[in-house]
Amino acid sequence: MRQQLRSRRAPTFPHGYRYRLDDQDEVNQNYLADEEEEAEEEARVMRVPNLEEEEKEEEQKEEEEGQGQPTGNTWWQKLQLMNEYLWDPEQRMSLARTGLILVIYFFFYASLAAVITVCMYTLFLTISAYMPTFTERVKPAGVMIRPFAHSLNFNFNVSEPDTWQHYVISLNGFLQGYNDSLQEEMNVDCPPGQYFIQDGNEDEDKKACQFKRSFLKNCSGLEDPTFGYSTGQPCILLKMNRIVGFRPELGDPVKVSCKVQRGDENDIRSIHYYPESASFDLRYYPYYGKLTHVNYTSPLVAMHFTDVVKNQAVPVQCQLKGKGIINDVINDHFVGRVIFTLNIET
Amino acid sequence: MVGGFSILLWVGAILCWIAYGIEYSNDPSSSLDNVYLGAVLALVVVLTGIFAYYQEAKSTNIMASFSKMIPQQALVIRDAEKKTIPSEQLVVGDIVEIKGGDQIPADIRLLSSQGCKVDNSSLTGESEPQSRSCDFTHDNPLETKNIGFYSTTCLEGTATGMVINTGDRTVIGQIASLASGVGNEKTPIAIEIEHFVHIVAGVAVSLGIIFFIIAVSMKYPVLYSIIFLIGIIVANVPEGLLATVTVTLSLTAKRMAKKNCLVKNLEAVETLGSTSIICSDKTGTLTQNRMTVAHLWFDNQIFMADTSEDHSNQIFDQSSGTWASLSKILTLCNRAEFKPGQESLPIMKKTVVGDASETALLKFSEVILGNVMEIRKRNRKVAEIPFNSTNKFQLSIHETDDPNDRRFLMVMKGAPERILEKCSTIMINGQEQPLDESTAKAFHTAYMELGGLGERVLGFCHLYLPADEFPETYSFDIDTMNFPTSSLCFVGLLSMIDPPRSTVPDAVTKCRSAGIKVIMVTGDHPITAKAIARSVGIISANSETVEDIAKRLNIAVEQVNKWDAKAAVVTGMELKDMSPEQLDELLANHSEIVFARTSPQQKLIIVEGCQRLGAVVAVTGDGVNDSPALKKADIGIAMGIAGSDAAKNAADMVLLDDNFASIVTGVEEGRLIFDNLKKTIAYTLTKNIAELCPFLIYIIVGLPLPIGTITILFIDLGTDIIPSVALAYEKAESDIMNRKPRHKKKDRLVNKPLALYSYLHIGLMQSLGAFVVYFTVYTQAGFRPSTLIGLRLEWEKDDVNDLEDSYGQEWTRYQRQYLEWTGYTAFFVAIMVQQIADLIIRKTRRNSIFQQGLFRNKVIWVGIASQIIIALILSYGLGSITALNFTMLRAQYWFVAVPYAILIWVYDEMRKLFIRLYPGGWWDKNMYY
Repeated sequence: MRQQLRSRRAPTFPHGYRYRLDDQDEVNQNYLADEEEEAEEEARVMRVPNLEEEEKEEEQKEEEEGQGQPTGNTWWQKLQLMNEYLWDPEQRMSLARTGLILVIYFFFYASLAAVITVCMYTLFLTISAYMPTFTERVKPAGVMIRPFAHSLNFNFNVSEPDTWQHYVISLNGFLQGYNDSLQEEMNVDCPPGQYFIQDGNEDEDKKACQFKRSFLKNCSGLEDPTFGYSTGQPCILLKMNRIVGFRPELGDPVKVSCKVQRGDENDIRSIHYYPESASFDLRYYPYYGKLTHVNYTSPLVAMHFTDVVKNQAVPVQCQLKGKGIINDVINDHFVGRVIFTLNIET
Repeated sequence: MVGGFSILLWVGAILCWIAYGIEYSNDPSSSLDNVYLGAVLALVVVLTGIFAYYQEAKSTNIMASFSKMIPQQALVIRDAEKKTIPSEQLVVGDIVEIKGGDQIPADIRLLSSQGCKVDNSSLTGESEPQSRSCDFTHDNPLETKNIGFYSTTCLEGTATGMVINTGDRTVIGQIASLASGVGNEKTPIAIEIEHFVHIVAGVAVSLGIIFFIIAVSMKYPVLYSIIFLIGIIVANVPEGLLATVTVTLSLTAKRMAKKNCLVKNLEAVETLGSTSIICSDKTGTLTQNRMTVAHLWFDNQIFMADTSEDHSNQIFDQSSGTWASLSKILTLCNRAEFKPGQESLPIMKKTVVGDASETALLKFSEVILGNVMEIRKRNRKVAEIPFNSTNKFQLSIHETDDPNDRRFLMVMKGAPERILEKCSTIMINGQEQPLDESTAKAFHTAYMELGGLGERVLGFCHLYLPADEFPETYSFDIDTMNFPTSSLCFVGLLSMIDPPRSTVPDAVTKCRSAGIKVIMVTGDHPITAKAIARSVGIISANSETVEDIAKRLNIAVEQVNKWDAKAAVVTGMELKDMSPEQLDELLANHSEIVFARTSPQQKLIIVEGCQRLGAVVAVTGDGVNDSPALKKADIGIAMGIAGSDAAKNAADMVLLDDNFASIVTGVEEGRLIFDNLKKTIAYTLTKNIAELCPFLIYIIVGLPLPIGTITILFIDLGTDIIPSVALAYEKAESDIMNRKPRHKKKDRLVNKPLALYSYLHIGLMQSLGAFVVYFTVYTQAGFRPSTLIGLRLEWEKDDVNDLEDSYGQEWTRYQRQYLEWTGYTAFFVAIMVQQIADLIIRKTRRNSIFQQGLFRNKVIWVGIASQIIIALILSYGLGSITALNFTMLRAQYWFVAVPYAILIWVYDEMRKLFIRLYPGGWWDKNMYY
C-alpha cells in the first residue's frame, strides 16, 4: 500500500515539497528569486525527501483515505498545506505558533476593548442621566394619535363590529394607564393653568399630575365602551410627543384643532374636543425624564367626530396651535400635526 | 485594464441590482440606494476604462508621431509607361524600379541591378549594407542576392525588379503576423491584481455566508438574509481602488516617459519593476552606435583614445613625429565629409557623409587637429583609389602644404596585414627605420592585442614620391597604377570600436546589485561582443568564460568543467544545436551570458528559455524580426530612434533615447510603484472594515444603521481617492535597487500580513473609533447604547412616530431618520479622521515616519487637505440636501475620533519599531507587509 501510494505520488512530489521546504514565513520577505538557488533546491528536493516521508505518510494516509483518491495536484497541495499548518515536522512548532498568534490577538483585542471601555466610560461621565445633552433633534414636538393600528386610515363599517373592534381594544388598552383610580393613587392633583415646576435636585423623584380618563368624557369609553365607533362617531385621541424640559411658550397652552385637509370643509360638520379647552394644560409641563418622572402621564386631547360625511374617505389634519409651535415642517408630517383619513361606512 | 478588478466591480453592481429586485418584489417603496450603488459601481468601471484607454491612446499617439507616416510610393512600369502609384496597389508581376534612398515597396526579384546595395538590418539584424544582383546565389530566399525585401531600404545604386509577394505574404508581413500570433502573457501586475481580487472576494463571500447563517439563525426572513448577504459582499468591494490603481499607474507612466521610457500598456509599468532578466541588444542600446577610434599604435606603443560621447580629452602623446605623419594620413586618406550647414553643432553631433569607419576617423582627426576640410584643401588631392573589398586598402595622392616641398605624398590605409606587406620601412619617433623581424613582431603583437579587444584595426602608411620621378605635372592613372604601391613607410595602427554608452556600465552595475541578470544578444562577432560585454560589465572583470579558463590553465576547451565558468559567450551556431534543456541549463548556470552571431529569430528562443526558468524577461529590439520576441517577452522594449514600426507596435514600452540606462531608471520606477501600490491597497482596504462592521453590527445587535451606502460611496470615491493616489508619490524607503527582483510567487502585492494587518488591526481600530463617535452622537441626543440594542425594528417602522428614547422622550420617524443621518455623518467624519492617520502610517512599511520625513511628500498633504475639505463641504455645504444623507454636524464631533487616529499612529510606529529592532524575527515575518 505504502509503495503504491508513493509511486502514485511521485510526480507531484517536487512541487509539494518545494512548498514545504520554503519556510512559510519567508513568503513575505523580500528575498531573492534566484534561479540558481531554486534549481539547486529542486535538485535537493529530489534527493532528500524519503527520510521524513515515512513519518509524514502515517498522518497523511488516513486523511487521504478519507479523501478517497486525490483528485489532483491542487487537492494534494491543499491537504499538505493544511497538514503543515497543524503540525510542521521541520519546524516542530506550527500549532504552537498558531497558539502564539491567538494569544497575541487576544491581548491586542483585550487592550482595544479596554481602551474603548475607558472611552465609553468617560463619555457616560459627561452625560447626565436626567437631562439629554442635546434636544434639538427631537424638537419641535411630534404628534401621534390613538388608536394606533399601523395605519392612519380609519376604515370601518358601523354595522360590522369586526371592522372597528380592534380600535376599541387598542383605545381601551391605551387608556388603562389613565384609569381614574390609578391616577388618583399614583399622581397628585395639581393646580391647572400653571407649570408644575418641581425644584430640587436632579436625582429627586418627581411627582406627576393626574390626567384622568374621565377628563375625556364621551371619549373616555366609560359611558360608551365602543368610543363612538358603533354609532359612526369615532373618538380619536391625540398626544404630543414628550420632550424633556419642554414648556409651551409664555404660559399659553397648546391647542388642538382639526379640519378637513383637502376637499370640502363641510365633510366634517362637527368635532367635539375633550377636555373642552382642546388644549394640553400647562400643569403637565415640564417633563423631567423617565428616570425621575416615573409616573408622568402624557396629557391627551380627544377628538370626537360626531358628524362626518359617511361612505367617503375624508382626509383630516389635526394641528397643534400655540406660540412657538411649528406645524409645517415639509419633510416631517408628524411634527405639530397629524394627518389621517376617516372612511366610515354605514 | 486590470481585468479581474472590473469584473469584481461588475459583479458588485449586478448583485446590487439583484438585491434591489428582491426588495422591490417585497415592498415596492423600498429605497433606491442599491440601484444607485450599482449604477455608481458600473460608472466607476466605465470611467476608469475610458481613462485607461485615453492614457494608452496618448502613448500610442506619441509613438505614431515618431514614424512619419508618408504614404509609400512605388515607381512601376505598367503598359510600357512609368507610373508612380501607392505601394499597396502593387500586384504580383508588376515591374518596379528602385533607386538609392527608396524603400523597397514589396518583395521583389531583381531583373537588373547597377551597384545596388540594400540595408537589410530591419529584417536580419545585419547592419552592413548588402549588395544585390540578379544572380541566384542561395536556396534560402533570405540569403540569395537577387531578392529585395519589402520595407528594407536601398542604400545606393538602382535596380529593376518584379514583384513576387505583397502585403502579408511578404517576408516581413509573415514575421509581423507571427508576432501577432504569439500569445499575450498576463502581466505580473494583472496576476497580482487577480490574486488581490481573489482575496477580497474570498473575504467578502465567506463573511457574507457566515452572516447569512447568523441572520437566518436569528430568525430573519431568508429573503432579508439574502439581501444582507449581498450587502456584505458589495460592502467589501473597494470601489475606489480600480480608479486609484489606474491613476497611479498612469502617473508613473508619465514619470517614466519623462525619463525616456514611453509605456504603451499601463500594466507594463510595474512589469519592468519585477524584471529579473534583461535581454539587451548591443548596437545602439549598450553602445553609442557609431564607430569611434579607441586605440592607436605607433612608436611601438599602444595609446588609448577617449571614446566617451564627446571625445573631449585625448590624452595620448601627440608630440612624436610619427603622430604628425599618422594624423596627416588620417585626414587625407579619408573620403568622408561633414554635411554643410552645421557649423554650430559640436563635432560629435555633426552628420557625416561616408561610411562608419571613415566617419570615426574624420571626427577623431577633427577633434584633435581642428579644421580637417581646411587641411585637405591645403593638401590638394591629385589621385585616389577608393576602398574595395578585393584591394582591402584605400589610397590617395596629395600635394603637400609645404610650398618648398615639391614632392607628392601618397597615403594609404587598409587591412593591417595588407598594408604591412606593402611596407619596407617603419616610422619610429618620426624617423624612418627599416622594417625588421622585431618590429614586425611588435606589429603583430599589437595587431593581435587590438583585435582581441574586438576592435576593427586599420593600418596606415605613406610614401613621399620623389620629386624627380613624379614632377608636379605628373598625371596619375588609377587604373594602370603608374606609381609605386610597395616599399612604403608603415606609420601606425588605429583601431575602432562602437564604444559603450558612458552611462551603461553604471546601469549594468545597478542591474547587478538589483539582482537583474543582463544578457547581451547581438548579431556581432563573439570577440567584439565579449569585449563590449566586458567593458560595460555584463561580463564582470573577474569572471571567466570556458575559453578563458582553458587559456589560463593551458588545456583544451573540452577539458574545462563548464560550470566553473561564470560567464559564457554563446554563438548562434552553438545555440542552433542546443536542445531546450541544454539552453535552460546554460541560462541557469551562467550568471553572465553573451549571445553573439545570433539571428534575430533566435532571440525568441532565448526569451522562451528565460521564461521557462520562471524569470520575468525584458527584451529590447528594433528590427521587424524582433517583434515576436518583443511580444513574447514579459515586457518588450522597442527602440524609439532605431526601432521599426513593427517592433514599436509589438512592444509594451518604447525607449525614446535607445539607451540601456533608461531601462534601469524604468526598473526603479516599476519597483517603486509596486511598493507604493501595496501602500495604496493597504490604505484602501483598511477602511473597508470600518465600513463593513456597522452593517454587521446592524444585523446582529440591531442598532440603527451607523453608516449608509451613499455615505460609504462618498468615502470610497470622495475623500479617499486623492490620498490614495498621493501615496504613489511616496519616495522609496530604502535603496530599492539593492533588492533582488520580487519573486513572482512569493512577493505578492497583497499578502497575508497586509490583509490581516489592514483588516484585523488598523481596520478594527478604525471601526471602534468610529463607533465611539456614533455612540457619542446617539447618547448625547438621548439614545444610550443600552436602549439602542435591538431597537432597529422599531426604529425603522415608518408608522411609529412616538418612539421612546432613554429619557422617555418620543421621536417621530423623521426625527429618528435625521438623527440616523447625523450618525452617518459622524461615522463618516470619524473614518475620515482616522484615514488621515492611516494615510500617514502607510507612508512607510518599515521605517519610522520621522525617518521618511513627514513633509517630503507634499502630495500627501494635498490629499489630507482634500479629505478635510470634501468632508466639510459634504457636512456643511450639502448638509441640507436630504438625498445625500449628510447633516450639519456639531463641531465637537469632528474631534472625537482624533485620539483614535493618534492611537493608530502610535500603534503602527510600534509595529515598525519592532520590525526594525528584530529583523527576520517573528514579528517581522507576521507584521511586515
